[in-house]
Amino acid sequence: MSESLVRSALNDKLKEMLSEVNNFHLNSSITCLEILKAVIAKKRENDVIILSKGHSAPAFYVILSELGLLSEEDLKSFANLDGLPSHVIRGLPFIEVSSGSLGQGLSVANGIALASKLEGEEKNVYVILGDGELDEGQIWEAAMTSSHYKLDNVIAIVDRNFKQLTGKTEEIMSKEPLGEKWKSFGWEVFEVENKAEKILELLFELDKVKGKPKVIIAKWE
Amino acid sequence: MIESFREAFGRALVEIGKENENVVVLDADVKGSTKTIYFEKAFPDRFFQIGISEQDLISTAAGFAIAGKIPIASAFAAFMMRAWEQIRNTVARDNLNVKIVTTHSGFSDFMDGSSHQCLEDIALMRVLPNMKVLVPADAYATKVLLKRMVESEGPFYMRLGRDYTVKVYDGEELEIGKAEILREGEDVFLIACGFMVSVALEVAEKLKDLSVGVADFHTIKPLDENTLLKIAKKANLIVTLEEHSIFGGLGGAVAEVLSERMPKRVIRIGTTEFGKSSRDYLALLDLYGLSADKIAKRVAEAVEGF
Repeated sequence: MSESLVRSALNDKLKEMLSEVNNFHLNSSITCLEILKAVIAKKRENDVIILSKGHSAPAFYVILSELGLLSEEDLKSFANLDGLPSHVIRGLPFIEVSSGSLGQGLSVANGIALASKLEGEEKNVYVILGDGELDEGQIWEAAMTSSHYKLDNVIAIVDRNFKQLTGKTEEIMSKEPLGEKWKSFGWEVFEVENKAEKILELLFELDKVKGKPKVIIAKWE
Repeated sequence: MIESFREAFGRALVEIGKENENVVVLDADVKGSTKTIYFEKAFPDRFFQIGISEQDLISTAAGFAIAGKIPIASAFAAFMMRAWEQIRNTVARDNLNVKIVTTHSGFSDFMDGSSHQCLEDIALMRVLPNMKVLVPADAYATKVLLKRMVESEGPFYMRLGRDYTVKVYDGEELEIGKAEILREGEDVFLIACGFMVSVALEVAEKLKDLSVGVADFHTIKPLDENTLLKIAKKANLIVTLEEHSIFGGLGGAVAEVLSERMPKRVIRIGTTEFGKSSRDYLALLDLYGLSADKIAKRVAEAVEGF
């Protein structure tokens, strides 16, 4: 991981990028930056990343630009007709599935993970979920599927920023006790501060856990 | 001869599974009813039970397709529609190689009533970019079109009834996107899909005083416009027959094309209501005006009053 991926510099870049588009999903992108940094640093060549909370696309683009996969010009083109799409779409670097509609990423991750087990491949599927996104019932359908099939190659990371579109998560639709919920669905649960180095350290730890899917609840202070 | 759509589907799946190791089947806890259970018995490793959760089923199938498999996602038609947004936003938008096969469509789940009778799915699927829509007429067509579908790239929706189909085909080659003219006619042309193809043949037999043609438009999308225009050129009246709403299904597709390219009178025969429970499939079809007798009467009156 490049030294330049420091919190403040990336934040500034994000803010600059989104200042012209009315701060489009700025908060959700800021809180996703550290998670994306960690996951991209951990990702092996054939691992898959699914950005289920597709509206954090700006954070993803900023990271891609730091990695040299997008230019400054590309970033400026955000949400322009011929520019970077406002939500991630299939075909962008690292992006296997278009998102924008919440609640589907974990199911897609399960499908890829099941296919990979069928082939006997070593492949981790990282899926980044928003905490607001957990309101979608499909997330819990998929959470059951992951644990039913003992998909230890599925690693979900919840961006626990305590905010969703129109307010605080616990006021809109309470999530707590969130860890207990995942645990009761058969998942191995880890809670961590939303900092890239801490998440990254945990991601390496998770490789040792076998036989069940794993979720990291990354808490924004 | 009476055959069953779902039996044909289940058996054909096993044949396809032998030929193509990439095929996987996903079920929403209806394997005994859809007959995907035959595939599970033959290939337990390639059968995935997702439970009673059609939305998760479709998005999981999308994951399999991304990983290079050919997933066949199967459930009852009415309940698969609760995953329409997943089909739209993930499968169709990304043009993924997911094959959706639903059974118990139309009135074919007669006993279960309106909740189970799916009369909207053709319209819902037809409107999606990239999605192709197939409605086989009998057990044989189910088997042949299923194979063709698995061999073709991209998202497909195949709509099947439950049981009870009258044999239409006897070993013919069928191609996706090519309608079959089963009987020529000049006064009236009946354009049908699914079980209504066999009913259309029966209607043509009843209307002995008229020259009645019958065509099977098993591919609703892409619609075989060339064959449709040829039919419209020679026939005075076009009648569409489907076990589906007259809004947005086969009748809608035919009327759209003809109104732009060769304006012609089209009578759409189908439904405008929700269904009802019935102990008898054919009695239910008759109640909604979809029996051969009622269709023949309606067509004869239309020709007279033309």
